[in-house]
Amino acid sequence: MNDSIPLQCLEVGTSGAVTAVVGNGDLVHRLDEIGLRQGAEVQMVQSGRPCIVRVNGQRLCLRADELLRVLVRPGVVA
Amino acid sequence: MSHSTENNLCVALIGNPNTGKSTLFSALAGVRQRVGNYPGVTVERKTGQLTHRARQLTLIDLPGTYSLAPRSPDEMVAVDVLLGRQNDAPRPDLVLCIVDASNLQRNLYVVSQVLELGLPTVLALNMVDIAASRGITIDVERLSRNLGIPVVEVQANRRQGVDRLKDALVEQIDRPAREHVSPFPAEFQNEVAALTRRLETASSNGQASLPRYLVERLLLDTTGYLEDVVLEHADPGLHGAIAEARTRLAAAGSPVPAVEAMARYGWIGQVLDGIVVRPRERRITLSDRMDRVLTHRLWGTLIFVLLMVVVFQAVFSWAAPAQDLIDAGVAHVAQFAEEHMAEGALRSLVVDGLIGGVGGVLAFLPQIFILFFFIAVLEDCGYMARAAYLMDKLMVRVGLSGKSFIPLLSSFACAIPGIMATRTIENRRDRLTTILIAPLMSCSARLPVYALLITAFIPERKLVGDLLNLQGVTLAAMYLIGIVTATIVAWVLKKSLLRGPTPPFVMELPSYKMPGPSIVLHRMFERGWSFIRRAGTLIVAVAVVVWASLYYPHDPAVEAPYAEQKVALETRLAELPESAAERGDLERELAEIDGRIAGAYQEQSILGRIGHAIEPAVRPLGWDWRIGCAAIASFPAREVVVATLGIIYNLGEVDVDDTQAAGLNSALQQATWEGTEEKVFNIPVALSLMVFFALCAQCAATLVVIKRETGSWWWPVFTFVYMTGLAYVAALVTYQVGMLIS
Repeated sequence: MNDSIPLQCLEVGTSGAVTAVVGNGDLVHRLDEIGLRQGAEVQMVQSGRPCIVRVNGQRLCLRADELLRVLVRPGVVA
Repeated sequence: MSHSTENNLCVALIGNPNTGKSTLFSALAGVRQRVGNYPGVTVERKTGQLTHRARQLTLIDLPGTYSLAPRSPDEMVAVDVLLGRQNDAPRPDLVLCIVDASNLQRNLYVVSQVLELGLPTVLALNMVDIAASRGITIDVERLSRNLGIPVVEVQANRRQGVDRLKDALVEQIDRPAREHVSPFPAEFQNEVAALTRRLETASSNGQASLPRYLVERLLLDTTGYLEDVVLEHADPGLHGAIAEARTRLAAAGSPVPAVEAMARYGWIGQVLDGIVVRPRERRITLSDRMDRVLTHRLWGTLIFVLLMVVVFQAVFSWAAPAQDLIDAGVAHVAQFAEEHMAEGALRSLVVDGLIGGVGGVLAFLPQIFILFFFIAVLEDCGYMARAAYLMDKLMVRVGLSGKSFIPLLSSFACAIPGIMATRTIENRRDRLTTILIAPLMSCSARLPVYALLITAFIPERKLVGDLLNLQGVTLAAMYLIGIVTATIVAWVLKKSLLRGPTPPFVMELPSYKMPGPSIVLHRMFERGWSFIRRAGTLIVAVAVVVWASLYYPHDPAVEAPYAEQKVALETRLAELPESAAERGDLERELAEIDGRIAGAYQEQSILGRIGHAIEPAVRPLGWDWRIGCAAIASFPAREVVVATLGIIYNLGEVDVDDTQAAGLNSALQQATWEGTEEKVFNIPVALSLMVFFALCAQCAATLVVIKRETGSWWWPVFTFVYMTGLAYVAALVTYQVGMLIS
């Protein structure tokens, strides 16, 4: 997880694999349920707070902060 | 917990949000729908009927959800209905899951939960056309085999595949549900079995045993909600047992609640293996291109602002003709009643109280319907989620999220549906804050007050060349006062009473689509009617009470000072020939005397006396006793103030009819302080009254809805006190500063 960066630092147009979702258990579980979970591929569509990412072909609008952190490893996922 | 009977079978419809569930529901049930509420919660209860191959099916629409994991009473309803634990709903004989073909992986999550319930299940694979256009192909036959349930391709918006789906429903009902293999690892299943045994021994006193699905959820729900609900009267030792089981599971590599997503996505991976073919390169869709503009920092915001201007412009200008029509209709009915009933208390009650009261509500319907029409269009085409995304940037500064945007927008039509729309906000503090500031948005009931006072007292002057008009700017200022105050109140609430971290904001941005006309109209009427039902009954009751307190004690002695003059006028009128020119003048004079008599009655009435009593309190706002009276009378519903002002300023009942409204305008302009020549109204007084109405909580229906949605009387009381306090202070400042300037 050393090469992981917070999701919001992912540059527009690039993709990454989610390495960890950290935070309150219930919030993490809700993200799990909609597919934003460890191993999922995310692509940054629009950066900022909130940002827009693409996960499994769906677009999600997301503002994560101290309660909920999504870490990704940048790079194309096979 | 009744099972449905042999010839009326019950089908529950469930699926993710934005999968076309409502469209499919309409396609299956047609117009045979009923909407209500489950007791004690805010979830809508929507049922429909359909007959197919001589079988009667009752369709229950459950709220769209990504997961059957109850963490609040609202989310519990869906689970209770499916398990047959909901008292007023029959246990479903069959579950119909609807999934979006272009995003099967996520959609199958809730399907995997449904399959564990042990009910016969049918899968409707919706939006196959969209999936195909993205180059996604799905082997439906193998999907059906892997899932062990029938899968039917449909395009709900085009009504395609609906008949095949009905066939599948009827056929599946007669087949027993296939045993579903749990996707959970063995250690988790062992813990579930152990907990089940523990629960059974604990509840040997005849309590019904808990369904396996809920035992699973007891272990998985770390919020503690389910333990509170399900184990309310159970052995307290069970809580410890659950905690121990979770510790063991964490040690075994199946931590709760993460084990659920791991297990279910693992199962989904197996089911979909080799079934879904996606193109290597993701095609750029129309939605992608639209989003590039519509969520753009600059263009997106600009378009959003423009759109809001267009919506509000339309709400006010389109509604006008319909409003005139309704007013004319109400006036006709009132006239008819007036002509056909004997003079007295009963006629006054019917004409002034009932018809006047109902007419007052009806006049707002066009605006409310138009705003709901736009909201439904923006929701159905997918734009609303983008608007919430854009607004989140602003909302987060006061500690709210973009989810508060739609409720607040609805509140510009009426705070009641606005407050009900806060149900989509999961965070309790955010939801409460939104509920508490929603009544500050200038609803359509304030508009008649603004319209009356602005046209009467604000000069029609052009500003900045010909671009703006002082009257329009004043109206905009009233809306702005509400918005700015709401912002400050929200910020203060989130820093004090409802302190807590700003919750993260996660929302799906669905693909854009053409709004379906039937869905849009249906939603518009549904919300419009629920407004009429809730507000209408209350406003009628209020109108009657206001009427009574303005009518009684109705001592005929007050007529005495005018009697001589009136008789003299009437005799002169009777002597004049029909064609005499003076007739018009005399008739006008007679009407004025009648108005004065009505006014004298008002002053002697219960409400009139209260108005006099509170005059010292409203004096600093620049109000005389009559304005104070109107403000009190309009406590239950602020739009009543226009009618009350009309009655009080010696004009008799006011119809919003143009000519008479002009009459009210001039009556207000002419009104003087009692016993002096000084005018009651000047610009500071008019502004003070408008500001008061912009901020006050003069709406009993809203307060009742706040009670219902928050479950406590404390919040409506709080809302009323803080809003009235703010309104009083703001009106005071407006008047005093206004007098200093002028």
